[in-house]
Amino acid sequence: MSSINNTKSFHLISSQKVSFTFDGKKITGFKGDTIASALLRNNINLVGRSFKYHRPRGIYTCGIEEPNALVQIISEHNEPNARATVKRIYEGMIVESQNRWPSLKMDIGAVNNLLSPIFSAGFYYKTFMGPKGFWKKIYEPIIRKTAGLGKPPKEFRSKSTHHHHNVDVVIVGGGISGLIAALKFIDTNYDVLIIEQDSFLGGTLNNSKKIKEINGLDTIEWIKKTEDLISKSKNIKILKDTTVSSYNYSNHLIALEDKAVGSLPPNYKPELVLHKIRTQHTILANGYIERILSFRNNDLPGVMLAGSFEKFIHRYGVVPETNPIIFTNNSSTFSLLKSLVELNCKPSAYVDNREENSIEKSTLDYLKNNNILFYTGAEVEGCDGRNIIREAFIRHKGNIIKLKTNMLCVSGGINPDVNLFTQSKGLIKWDDNLFTFKPENAFQNTIVIGSASGNFNFQKLNDEIKNKLNFLKGVNDTKIEIISNVENDYNISEIWDIKPEKESLWSKSFIDIQNDVTVKDLRQAITEGFDRIEHLKRFTTNSMGTDQGKISSINSLGIVSKILNKSVEEVGTTIYRPPFAPLSFSAIAGRNTYEFYDPKRKTPIHSWHIDNNAVFEDVGQWKRPWYFKNKKGETMHQAVQRESKQLRESAGILDGSTLGKIEVKGKDALEFMNLMYTNAFTKMKPMTSRYVLMLGEDGMIKDDGIVSKINDQHFIATTTTGGAPKVLADMEEYAQTEWPNLEVYMNSITEQFSTFNISGPKSRAIMRKVFSNIDFSNEKFPFMTFNNFKYLDTEVRIMRASFTGELGYEIYIPPKYALELWKKIFHSGKNLGLVPYGTETMHLLRAEKGYIVVGQDTDGTVTPIDLNLNWMIGKNKKDFIGKRSLSRFDTAREDRKQLVGILPLDKNKKILEGQHILEINKLPKKVETPIEYLGHVTSSYHSPNLKHFVAMALVKGGKKLMGKKVYVSDPSKSETIPVEIVNPVFLDPKNKRLLS
Amino acid sequence: MLIINCPYCGERDQSEFSNGGQAHVARPSDPEKLNDKEWSEYVFVRSNPKGIFFERWVHSHGCRKWFNAVRNTATDEILKIYKLNEKPPSLDEFTNNLKTPSGEPELGSGNFTVKK
Repeated sequence: MSSINNTKSFHLISSQKVSFTFDGKKITGFKGDTIASALLRNNINLVGRSFKYHRPRGIYTCGIEEPNALVQIISEHNEPNARATVKRIYEGMIVESQNRWPSLKMDIGAVNNLLSPIFSAGFYYKTFMGPKGFWKKIYEPIIRKTAGLGKPPKEFRSKSTHHHHNVDVVIVGGGISGLIAALKFIDTNYDVLIIEQDSFLGGTLNNSKKIKEINGLDTIEWIKKTEDLISKSKNIKILKDTTVSSYNYSNHLIALEDKAVGSLPPNYKPELVLHKIRTQHTILANGYIERILSFRNNDLPGVMLAGSFEKFIHRYGVVPETNPIIFTNNSSTFSLLKSLVELNCKPSAYVDNREENSIEKSTLDYLKNNNILFYTGAEVEGCDGRNIIREAFIRHKGNIIKLKTNMLCVSGGINPDVNLFTQSKGLIKWDDNLFTFKPENAFQNTIVIGSASGNFNFQKLNDEIKNKLNFLKGVNDTKIEIISNVENDYNISEIWDIKPEKESLWSKSFIDIQNDVTVKDLRQAITEGFDRIEHLKRFTTNSMGTDQGKISSINSLGIVSKILNKSVEEVGTTIYRPPFAPLSFSAIAGRNTYEFYDPKRKTPIHSWHIDNNAVFEDVGQWKRPWYFKNKKGETMHQAVQRESKQLRESAGILDGSTLGKIEVKGKDALEFMNLMYTNAFTKMKPMTSRYVLMLGEDGMIKDDGIVSKINDQHFIATTTTGGAPKVLADMEEYAQTEWPNLEVYMNSITEQFSTFNISGPKSRAIMRKVFSNIDFSNEKFPFMTFNNFKYLDTEVRIMRASFTGELGYEIYIPPKYALELWKKIFHSGKNLGLVPYGTETMHLLRAEKGYIVVGQDTDGTVTPIDLNLNWMIGKNKKDFIGKRSLSRFDTAREDRKQLVGILPLDKNKKILEGQHILEINKLPKKVETPIEYLGHVTSSYHSPNLKHFVAMALVKGGKKLMGKKVYVSDPSKSETIPVEIVNPVFLDPKNKRLLS
Repeated sequence: MLIINCPYCGERDQSEFSNGGQAHVARPSDPEKLNDKEWSEYVFVRSNPKGIFFERWVHSHGCRKWFNAVRNTATDEILKIYKLNEKPPSLDEFTNNLKTPSGEPELGSGNFTVKK
């Protein structure tokens, strides 16, 4: 007793031999074989170990629904959890089994099976409760190592891509129903897309001999002829090897195409294509899925779904076992019986749960005429064996009959595949004759046909499709005549789980084979109160995993309904969610990976920064120099201290090109700017600039920057580097939605100008050297003024402004000229001590001066008043965004957190950002009531110029606490640091340097 | 993913748009005249109905224009799109025969899959 080849039906695979390795052993199959069919051909039944108990597992199905036969494809970037029943073999493929150690036959983890009492439903939640920290450090790593399926690849660069389709009709499934539907659209005006998950059309017609002929042709001939007709029709496109994984709102479908079926994925082409499809009408012809029955040890290798067994015979030409036992509760298995007998393979027994009077007469006659041992009104109570089934126990009229066998074919009935239909928000209804759910009301433009709609009768197929597609104008009338080999009506008895004769640790009745969920787990979960189906699923992990319980979820509803003594409708189903079949992350990512997903933005000076050993910081998408390494081994702290000191002594230059720049123009630009910003622009003189604040309607600071007024109709605003897109979007929103009466236009000019900041006492001298024709004297070029100057064949705008507190200039120049000018300035300033500096030094210098950084010293809960920036508020303006909120009771409170300076009393003490400001000196050993804290440190830097830490903090009622001694926490110690609350301007409070 | 019919560009994928929340919440013309409660309602309070909702969208990865839409929040169906300067349609236009997924009630929670 073993497998044989069915040479009669080799139409889908060729006789060309193909070799691959499975766990190091060389296996030979035929081209077109799946891993599963090739293994069965070689009498290999044990292919994996189970998720939780490490039980031996075999091949259970012959398709996408496979729960057990999941393998790791080493030759394809270590691809985990590939379904052996779907994945085609190719020469040199390397396959390994999963979840076993040291080997498949000798697996140490199998001890889990004996420990199963502690692995029952909800064991994660119950067992690993404490002590604190154990989950992260001990339990989780161990569980991750022993439980689970395959191992993920370490690194993988996606070669996948996305395609978009816009069609009139999508037909999901190229089986008999899909093909009949497609015939109706041949040479019509409809744009049609047929999606078939296999490499060939025909669906279940390839799986059995249920149908003798269609329109006088052998089924295989009919498929060929139909495909030919469809292919010639210019309005129909067929996508093969493509699985629809989700059906979303607006008739939007997502399907995954495998471009490398039966071959090693090519190096230079996409291996997966994600199809994003928009359609007017969706025809679901996606067929049915066979379900299991729960009996003792129904997971043993050698137990297989009957329909899948038949599929192996006809699709792949392999009879996995010549004399299996067939166990069924419905009429769909008769064709398997017939197929076996016709191949001279006699089933060793036929066990039907239906009573003799409800079994078709033709079936009974066939069994008798062929002398097959059969039992009616019987059930398989269980089976035994080590790594494969050896004996089955049949319960018939109260007796247990023991039969030897190598294989057991099971059918618990067939379900319309309602997954996509319910994803589309369609409503399903329980059918009391079919014992399954059927589509009832579509929510979108969805038409369900064939077995997917619960029509299991081939004779009625043509009329059904005709009626359902009738409403579409101009579809063809087709004549289909089908002659069957079997009875047309489907008939089933209700049975879900079978009471075991004996109980032991080894004997288990599984309901979800992939997740090792047993019928006992369902009972236990219900006893513990998880009687809602959605709760039950999460608590037991029933119908989760890569197969999503495709072959067993209806059974679990049946079992639960019996336990709760409710109807299945009352129990309901869990919601079917996308994806229908596992979707590779690389397919979802497509080309949007690495720099294509997150572009790196570089300034025109970038190459110079690299040449001068800049260390970069990401600011939004921009790469900004963080600091410059002067010599080898210089630490960041040393570099920043050096840059900061040198700038205050001589001068420094910063690449500020990333700053957002927005140009605002129009007749009403002045009024618009007055409304957008807190500042008053009316009395501001042309060609002057101002430090500005933008608030939200809630009065909180959103962004800051400098606004330059060219005239009342023309302004240029700078924003923070990260805030630029949002500020522009807000301006556009208000201009369009609130003040459409204002004639104003705005545009981003961030990339149109490179910006350099030169500051320090020597900056004037440097500017004079670079721009010898410009008068930089205080009288001619005072603080916060700007002007445009000719430079080469372009213009530069120079503004006198500063973010360091030193005398400083900002230069705006078109990017084309930027690098050259930068080099020129650097060359000219070298002898005067000009130092290039990065963002960290900028932050340190502004902190010495008490200047804020939006997003660091503010967090969306800070008003200008909290920051002592009252002077920036145009109080005489009637309105601006957020103005009213500043006088709202909560915003006007005097005990709000306000910005203050923090000065350590011991000048050697280090203050860390984010630390709490406390009123108490020592933290209690045991904290019983929460310790009240006054606020937190927002900025803190070691000042090389003042030789101590300068820090800013937001402190409750801080303005009134000047001079008060408080304490700053230190995360490394229980002690605190005594500090004084001071004015945040630590350096040059009289602005002598700034205005020099 | 929804298809949104931008009144300036035509039908585009939802990913090109950003939602701007409830429509027809006009910014008070003289905020100083409002008391704290009235102003707070403008700043903080928006409705979030199940069913018909008048809301704003912007074609942020396109023409960058704002417009209004009427959406059934229970089904995400967009029932009408109109420009900012157009008169909003009346609510009655949409309240008859509202379709919900799975025939669930128009109001209240729940997402039923099975017909009872």
